[in-house]
Amino acid sequence: MTTKAMMKRWVVVWGVLVLMLGAAPVQAATPLETVRAEVNKVLEVLRNKSLKEEVKREKLRVIYNEMFDQEELSKWCLGRNWNKLSEAQRKEFLPLFQQVLEKTYGDRILAYSDEKIVFDKEVPITGNRVEVQTRAVTKSKEIPMHYRVFKNKSGVWKCYDIVVENVSLVMNYRSQFNEILAKNSPDELINILRKKVKDQKS
Amino acid sequence: MRRLLCVLALSACVLAGFAPGAHASSAAVPTGEATPAAASDALSAPPATSEPAVQEKEPEKPAAPEDKAEGDSEAGEDDFDYDMEDVPAAEQVTIADPWEPFNRAMFTFNDRLYFWVLKPVAEGYSAVVPEPARVSVGNFFSNLRAPIRFLNCVLQANLIGASTELFRFMLNSTIGVAGLFDPAGGEEIGLLRQDEDFGQTLGAYGLGQGFYIVWPFFGPSSPRDTVGMVGDFFSYPISYLDPWYVWTAVRGYQAINDTSLQIGDYEAIKDAALDPYISIRNAYIQYRQKKVEERGATIPKSEPDVPGAGTPARGVGPEAAPQQ
Repeated sequence: MTTKAMMKRWVVVWGVLVLMLGAAPVQAATPLETVRAEVNKVLEVLRNKSLKEEVKREKLRVIYNEMFDQEELSKWCLGRNWNKLSEAQRKEFLPLFQQVLEKTYGDRILAYSDEKIVFDKEVPITGNRVEVQTRAVTKSKEIPMHYRVFKNKSGVWKCYDIVVENVSLVMNYRSQFNEILAKNSPDELINILRKKVKDQKS
Repeated sequence: MRRLLCVLALSACVLAGFAPGAHASSAAVPTGEATPAAASDALSAPPATSEPAVQEKEPEKPAAPEDKAEGDSEAGEDDFDYDMEDVPAAEQVTIADPWEPFNRAMFTFNDRLYFWVLKPVAEGYSAVVPEPARVSVGNFFSNLRAPIRFLNCVLQANLIGASTELFRFMLNSTIGVAGLFDPAGGEEIGLLRQDEDFGQTLGAYGLGQGFYIVWPFFGPSSPRDTVGMVGDFFSYPISYLDPWYVWTAVRGYQAINDTSLQIGDYEAIKDAALDPYISIRNAYIQYRQKKVEERGATIPKSEPDVPGAGTPARGVGPEAAPQQ
């Protein structure tokens, strides 16, 4: 390779780098920074004593959608079974499953507000996936909470799994979906979800 | 006699029963300590600790993922083609469940026991006894369990863990007023509790879980962890209380106290699940598996390294995953 060609390449590479930095500052955020920013937003909502529960839930939903990729999370939860669902079934599945998660985890998150969250470190998983390890420190104990994130199409880190005390949410749901889909059709699974959402509301 | 049975039920339920699940969600336990500064603490603390930690880990990382990670910034888009093969099925931990009908019956039994007996009693108890007192009672029993943890650290050749437990026991039994407080675990001293038990020791020796069992009163278990439970029983001083009904009463009280500190955890897990039996079975094996994998002492800050979350769970190949 001639020096001229090399120079040219460098110019191009630098040009691209500069463009990337200038155009998309979001990409600069590390997984840990991203998770920390979102978790702090959650804490802010929880600590705001003047907000009504309904308002808090609404705000948490907005943060959840910002922080998580519901489709990616669902794919992980379903594993290979994702392919068994038709496009239409997936469209039904996603919001129903999100409602189940929102209700249960919303309840749990709203139940506490004053724990200290310590952000420990990032551990690479594979490719574009990283685990951000945090701890919730209470009076009597520490609960490890790890967020697994991936880089999405637009280069933003999104969560697709939470591991609380070594129990992965994704893997836990996958074991349930596997079991259910071994005996039931995808439509029946969607019915089970629908019933769950209804039960939770009552 | 009926009362005795009740107490026994109570004790057992929390002893082992809901423990793994309950732990998993203990984050839900509200604390009274309001720290408005917590967020900023969290903000300021990590950079110092997290950076070096990441660097230390560097050499252990397999080369391939690293390369990928580097190329990531350009890869972004084409990388995203979702391929189900990509899902690390290897991480999926499963367990055989040949006793499922029996187990489901026992699961229902324990569930009733919790909602009909244990929970109401624990709620009444926590209405009378303030939380700090209950935390202290929990510390007291935890301190008495030190022999279990110490022995199992030794059996796993974890000498740092064993000496940590020894010092913890000495400090907490004296300065900690017979174990009511946990000064050793505080930030200044930083001797954290080493959660080791006989089931984990057997696991560390390479013994697998075998299959899933739900015991009445005792909850989720396996042949391995059942043997472990017997070992734990004999290394827990309370077990030697005489006559037997004193032992039972103390264990029952311990169960009520423990439950009072985690009311709501089991409910939350159940509520999140589409099939609570499967959910708890899975939580149990995930939790126990990681416990066995995380060998070595639990040291503050540097945290038990969960070695690259993507590494295959021991004894579970990628091909073993989809069935179950």
